[in-house]
Amino acid sequence: MQSSEKKPNPRVKPKSGQPTALAAWRWVSDRGLRVATGDATLARYADLLSRKLPEIEDVIPTDGSLLLILRRGASISAELSAALADPLAATPKTSGTLHDIAVEYGGLAGPDLPALAERAGMDVQTFIYRHAAVEYTVAFLGFQPGFPYLHGLPEALHAPRRASPRVRVAAGSVAIGGAYCGIYPAGGPAGWHIIGRTAAVLFDPARQAPALLMPGDRVRFVPE
Amino acid sequence: MIEVQRAGLCDLVMDLGRPGRGALGVPAGGAADPAALAAANRLVGNDAVAAGLEITLSGPMLRFPAGGVAALTGARFAATRSSGAAVTWNETLVLAAGETLSLGQAQEGCRCWLALRGGLAVPQVMVSRSTLLPAGFGGHLGRALQAGDALPCEPGAGEVRLLRAHPPSGEPDALLRVVAGPQVSLFDDAGLAAFFTGTYRVDASSDRRGLRLAGPAVTHARVELASQGVLPGAVQVPPDGRPIILGWDGPVTGGYPVIAGVISADLPRLAQLRPGDAVRFVTIELATARELAAAQWEFEELG
Repeated sequence: MQSSEKKPNPRVKPKSGQPTALAAWRWVSDRGLRVATGDATLARYADLLSRKLPEIEDVIPTDGSLLLILRRGASISAELSAALADPLAATPKTSGTLHDIAVEYGGLAGPDLPALAERAGMDVQTFIYRHAAVEYTVAFLGFQPGFPYLHGLPEALHAPRRASPRVRVAAGSVAIGGAYCGIYPAGGPAGWHIIGRTAAVLFDPARQAPALLMPGDRVRFVPE
Repeated sequence: MIEVQRAGLCDLVMDLGRPGRGALGVPAGGAADPAALAAANRLVGNDAVAAGLEITLSGPMLRFPAGGVAALTGARFAATRSSGAAVTWNETLVLAAGETLSLGQAQEGCRCWLALRGGLAVPQVMVSRSTLLPAGFGGHLGRALQAGDALPCEPGAGEVRLLRAHPPSGEPDALLRVVAGPQVSLFDDAGLAAFFTGTYRVDASSDRRGLRLAGPAVTHARVELASQGVLPGAVQVPPDGRPIILGWDGPVTGGYPVIAGVISADLPRLAQLRPGDAVRFVTIELATARELAAAQWEFEELG
């Protein structure tokens, strides 16, 4: 196996706000450049967008990295290299819009709630209380249009993904997958545990802002 | 205007997609072989960005009440016209008022593209007319065509020229060129050997979200990875060891290790793989892959 990419040193972890070395770049096919961005992901994302670099077709933020999709035939310009090396402040913790999301917990709306509560060693009411007692932050969107990966789930409520995905869950299903909480904007198959449902429309392509929740936004769940 | 008298297996309105919205979780989508759709558009005098139909494995029967100018590119399908005239691929076709065009099974490959003069006038959703089937928006009501649908066309501009297109010559073999993926180091020797020497078959469950492959299991270390951005061509390996090549409507993020990425120049070949087809992988240098220009279509005027 030959590859011209630089082998990263696994011991080098990008520190927040610090420039990441070239070693933190990895290619995903010939048009995708993954850049480790640590805690500064959203700041780096905003910075890259503001520069309007012509070789970039898209930038996809996730937890701790950005995927830069280059236009076909484009290569990395000196401007892009310089932009990625510029130091940044870490993403502020409390920047985005705060959303209150009303949730019907349990029952048909949240079929996995009893099993998750049992797994966590608490009764259903305590599980709901703890889930709704904290403020979450949207880390990134992915999986489906408008699907938010939320940070902030209390550790006692973490649960590994389901061994076999459900074939179909309802739009608005509130779910737990590992350390994340998420909300399914559309119906479809789902590998996370469904604990409730919201009537909020997470994604509407006809809206001016199609995604209700954007990276950096904050979320509170309100039991109905 | 076209009337759908009989729908094909999966007829989707497509243009060149909606790139640049990955942060919303929206894939770029669009025609699986954008150059083939652009060529069909050129044959009918449209801009490359006009919307046409992407037709998969088995095609529709379409009626043209007012006639029209059409062109087909991509895989050859069994095809007839009610006028009795031959249905040629890669050529401007002039259809009489009331004529029907009936497409049957793909004879080789998987997908063809039908352009109509003016372009299909479905509403733009997030600046594109492409159907995003998994999310149910774009195209015609966010879904594949059904019998009874009627799709308006934009009026064409300028004179009709009769053209013939010559597709780039491809090598119709099973070998897909890939560059090493970002998590290649998670795979053990047995897993790498399986992937790079094995022959895989395209599974019947494949669609525009991804091509699922059956064949030697690609073993790897079971580590919990954070979800990362992915793009069409990325080859993900879930815990069962069966690789999935992400397609045009695939998710923009994924948590499975990515062993390799099909290079941009070979993505149009993914569009023509059908269930049961054999696939093998060969690595090339990233720098080489980046130098490969998109293969060019050529056009000539018909005398």
